[in-house]
Amino acid sequence: MKKITINNLSYKYSLAENKALNNISLEVEKGDFIGVVGPNKAGKSTLCKSLVGLIPHFYKGEFEGEILIDNLNTLNSSIAELSLKVGLVFQNPFNQISGAKLSVYDELAFGLENNGLGREEMITRIDKYLNLMDLNEVKDNNPFELSGGQMQKLAIASIMALKPDVFVLDEPTSQLDPQGTEEVFKAVSRLREENLTVILVSQKLNKLADYANKILFLNQGEIAAYDNTAAVFSRNDLEQMGMGAPIYTEIARELGLKNEKNQYPIRKSELKEMLVAKYGKNIG
Amino acid sequence: MRSLSLYVKRDSLIHKIDPFTKIIYVFVSVISPFILPTLIFSTSLTLINLLFLLLGRVVKKVLPIISFVFIIILTIFIIQGMFYDANQTELFSLFNLNFYVEGILYAARISVRAINVLLAFSLLILTTPPTEMIESLVRRGMPAKLGYIMHSVLQIIPMMSSNASIIMDAQRARGMETEGSLWVRIKAFIPLIGPLVMSSLVNTHERSIALEVRGFSAATQKTFLHQEKVPGGMKQLRIFFLLFLAAVLAWRLVL
Ligand SMILES: Nc1ncnc2c1ncn2[C@@H]1O[C@H](COP(=O)(O)OP(=O)(O)OP(=O)(O)O)[C@@H](O)[C@H]1O
Ligand SMILES: [Mg+2]
Repeated sequence: MKKITINNLSYKYSLAENKALNNISLEVEKGDFIGVVGPNKAGKSTLCKSLVGLIPHFYKGEFEGEILIDNLNTLNSSIAELSLKVGLVFQNPFNQISGAKLSVYDELAFGLENNGLGREEMITRIDKYLNLMDLNEVKDNNPFELSGGQMQKLAIASIMALKPDVFVLDEPTSQLDPQGTEEVFKAVSRLREENLTVILVSQKLNKLADYANKILFLNQGEIAAYDNTAAVFSRNDLEQMGMGAPIYTEIARELGLKNEKNQYPIRKSELKEMLVAKYGKNIG
Repeated sequence: MRSLSLYVKRDSLIHKIDPFTKIIYVFVSVISPFILPTLIFSTSLTLINLLFLLLGRVVKKVLPIISFVFIIILTIFIIQGMFYDANQTELFSLFNLNFYVEGILYAARISVRAINVLLAFSLLILTTPPTEMIESLVRRGMPAKLGYIMHSVLQIIPMMSSNASIIMDAQRARGMETEGSLWVRIKAFIPLIGPLVMSSLVNTHERSIALEVRGFSAATQKTFLHQEKVPGGMKQLRIFFLLFLAAVLAWRLVL
């Protein structure tokens, strides 16, 4: 089932000289986990903003083409309506705190209150996502007193509480220390368990290899590659395109280890299996 | 500091009264002495406020404010006591300066009313959690955006210090000293000001996006996580206060 359909999407920010996105067309299936990669200014964030309707409703600029979420055209629905279908989490956790609530618990209610949910339902959801994101211990703290990783988990929980079917995360760990990054990726794996459709922009290729079933590689506002994770990371022209591969793929490439699909392994477990198969259990 | 608020948590009768009833009370108590400006009337209302502050066990918190205002009041007494237009009857004289009954009474009328305003607002602010107060107004039709602004004022201090500590971490990571003697800390603070101002501009933009994607502009009727706790009898109490105000008005018109 198609969850997202993008047809010939182009966008130019007002005052910008070049298009940030240029004639993008792609489809995302329900339950897909798409890893989005690409160099700086490739248009990754612009794509994220388009998916949640910030483009064209918040940013005015030249918008062409269309995005359909479950056949709902983003052009015809408000950001608030879309927020119940597509959630967005972005880089800076500090800026995603509403600033209007004095406790983590209340912060989780912010979006729910805006959307007019009943009290019982709010409490059920808040308790659920507090637990899911391991935030129970800090539920009475002021949101601004949390660590970066906790703040980002709070941002994720606040969006999850709105129960969108599609979850867009734009480099959610790029401003976090290693521990915070680890916490957030654990949170991301919960999203996958909830069977949401996830679009995750990240430079952490090893992590993407663990989670994503597809990789979208953007370059200068255009799609450079969009395919299954292993297929993209096995391409021979990665280096020319200015992209790396997960560490296990690099090792396999050095050793010339390909699987029966003629692809390099992307995860540790796969590489280990192939190494054992080739060299036996007691190498070294 | 957790937030910018003067609220004092206590277990008292006054604390149990809901914010809206208190707001009505404060409104009536503040405005009545201006409608009916007799000294006895405003003094009685002031004493009632004082009594409520006692019941709310927050009198101590008002004293610093009162002592500050006391200086201003003293000046009013001295100036009006000597120079009030209608001064006629000499009351006493101090170092050859004459003080008059009319001026002193006039000063008393102004001062008591000022103190009354102060006490009434203190009563509200000291005994009502600010978020509950704002919510009770939003529930009754105050625009949610205005409510958001009022809420965010409460969060200014934690927000600023959180932001400052992020920037300070970054500066420390680049080898700048941010801890130690006062002088070192002042030196560390100065380069902080620029990024703090710049980042708050970017932050405002990003935060407005974050609010939008959480339905801040939703057309739906907003709901509230916290229930309004209104003890029994509050409706009657509110009506009583409003009737009292009506009576004061009537009295003024008849007099
Ligand atoms: N608000 C804006 N106004 C004008 N131009 C913008 C704006 N935001 C982004 N751009 C431009 O649009 C292009 C794409 O930017 P975008 O932020 O989508 O890239 P990105 O892939 O997310 O990059 P990064 O890895 O740096 O986050 C860039 O050329 C950028 O300068
Ligand atoms: Mg970006």
